[in-house]
Amino acid sequence: MKQTAGPVTSTIKALLTLMYGVPILWIVLTSFKNPSDVFGSQASFVFRPVTTAYVEAFNGTLLTALRQSVLIATGTTVLTLLVAIPAAYGLARTIGWISSIGLGLLIVLQMMPQTATVIPLFQIFGNWSLLDSTLGVVIADTALLTPFATLLLRPFFRAVPPELEEAGSIDGASVLRTFFSIVLPVARNGVFTVGTLIFLLSWGEFLYAVNFFLSPGSYPLSALLAQQVSAFGINWPGLMALAVLTSVPILIVFTATYRLLRDGLTVGAVK
Amino acid sequence: MTAPLAPPAAPPAARSLRTRRNRTGRRPQVRLLFLLPAAVFLGLFGIFPLFQLVRMSLSKVGAATLNGAWQFTGLDNFTAGFASGESTQALYRTGVFVLVVTVFGMVGGLAAAIALRTKGRWSGFLLSLMVFVWALPPVVNGSVWKFLLGDAGLFNTLLQTTGLRQTSVPFLYDQYWALIAVAFVNSFVVIPFNALVFRAALMNIPPETFEAAALDGASRWQEIRHIMLSSVRPTTLVLLVLTIVYGFRSFDFIYVMTYGGPGTATNTLPFLGYLQAFVRYDFGLGAATSVVAVLGVLVLAAVYARSIRREESES
Repeated sequence: MKQTAGPVTSTIKALLTLMYGVPILWIVLTSFKNPSDVFGSQASFVFRPVTTAYVEAFNGTLLTALRQSVLIATGTTVLTLLVAIPAAYGLARTIGWISSIGLGLLIVLQMMPQTATVIPLFQIFGNWSLLDSTLGVVIADTALLTPFATLLLRPFFRAVPPELEEAGSIDGASVLRTFFSIVLPVARNGVFTVGTLIFLLSWGEFLYAVNFFLSPGSYPLSALLAQQVSAFGINWPGLMALAVLTSVPILIVFTATYRLLRDGLTVGAVK
Repeated sequence: MTAPLAPPAAPPAARSLRTRRNRTGRRPQVRLLFLLPAAVFLGLFGIFPLFQLVRMSLSKVGAATLNGAWQFTGLDNFTAGFASGESTQALYRTGVFVLVVTVFGMVGGLAAAIALRTKGRWSGFLLSLMVFVWALPPVVNGSVWKFLLGDAGLFNTLLQTTGLRQTSVPFLYDQYWALIAVAFVNSFVVIPFNALVFRAALMNIPPETFEAAALDGASRWQEIRHIMLSSVRPTTLVLLVLTIVYGFRSFDFIYVMTYGGPGTATNTLPFLGYLQAFVRYDFGLGAATSVVAVLGVLVLAAVYARSIRREESES
């Protein structure tokens, strides 16, 4: 294939590099500035880097928020996979009106505006004493992400050749056993991909956290950031330092799973 | 930021297995039992809340009565929302918002995919950079763009030093600019995902097609128009619905960058419902606004289900 980059292609690539590189660069640069540097001109490139923002950001609140983020993200990932894996397998291997309705409901649920579900959930959690608890936020996040996880996992299970399962059942293995010993290992790439995505999404979720935790003391990092950015008189270097600290775990997970994400994300849409 | 995907068609082997089973009817579908955990969980925390939302929208519910008895008021909340003009304006703003997100998101995604189709170090790096930005928490992206678009931010500094503008542009403080600016940031985040999906569709074109086109003396533009655009058409429809839904339900960048302001300038329908419930504590009114938003989503979900079914049957 003729794959030389023409001038138009290069221009688009240069534009995109600027568009996606500059914001990242600016987060990092600003986080190393002195608040007084930002006051004059926020665009300056030349400044004396200081770590004041990081030193100030590192306190008890940050560590609590970090712990909350880790708890919520891992809890949501585990619970979502527990619910979504069997559901995706079930939907991949059954036909009829039950699975059609199931699929339709999942599509509708995954499209629900989160601002619409937060209202009744707030009331329901109030009645069930799930407000102001990490478990409540984990449950809400799981309910939010399970439809997405199931729909994304289903093609991975459909790609497992049914002959493998038939061979297992001829040998006398139960449905459950063939699922655990044959299907799940074959579809593990899908499970990893979806698990990573759920982790990334629940790490960034903040609307449930902001509303279901009644005091900022138990906020995860994303909620802390959302609260600070909508406050008056923003301390930008401090905020950017917090943004960097919130993003570092994402960078680690992303670096470890980029190939999986890049290829797995498109499985559903392009076959 | 949740960007869902279309389930693809089953491999032929799976189909034959199922029809065989069905014809003989020997085996009941025991695998339906696998759906049980999800059915129970989503019934409790997904469907039941929606019932509560509808019930709330038909009642007078304030902060004090939230967990008490609700007074049934019929469609009062709905008529109140539309009578005050709030809902109508929010609907209009949602339309503008979705339009901007969809146009930028689709065109940008396709352009990026065509540019990133080529192999090489730059393309590889750029793609990973874009996917990383997509994977970042929306609060992080929202924060940095709020900073960049501020009065003394990078954009205004550039505009003023180059002499294009004498005064700073109130990107987030002007009622027209704010809606467009937030919508732009939304499309900025959705472009990497769309590019990834478009790119995968472009990679599926057999190289021979391009070679044949080159032999026929096709120009680059003709290659794009006749080969690339026609081969991504099925993907485009699904992606279009997904991008519209993404723009429609978006709230995180509005929350972080403008919180619905200035005034009510960035109150889209979903965000208006949230503000009515959690800032004004009128849960009934907020629920009614949200029900209108949910109805919009139902329409989009039906279109989406139809478009993926068509794609499954075509392949």
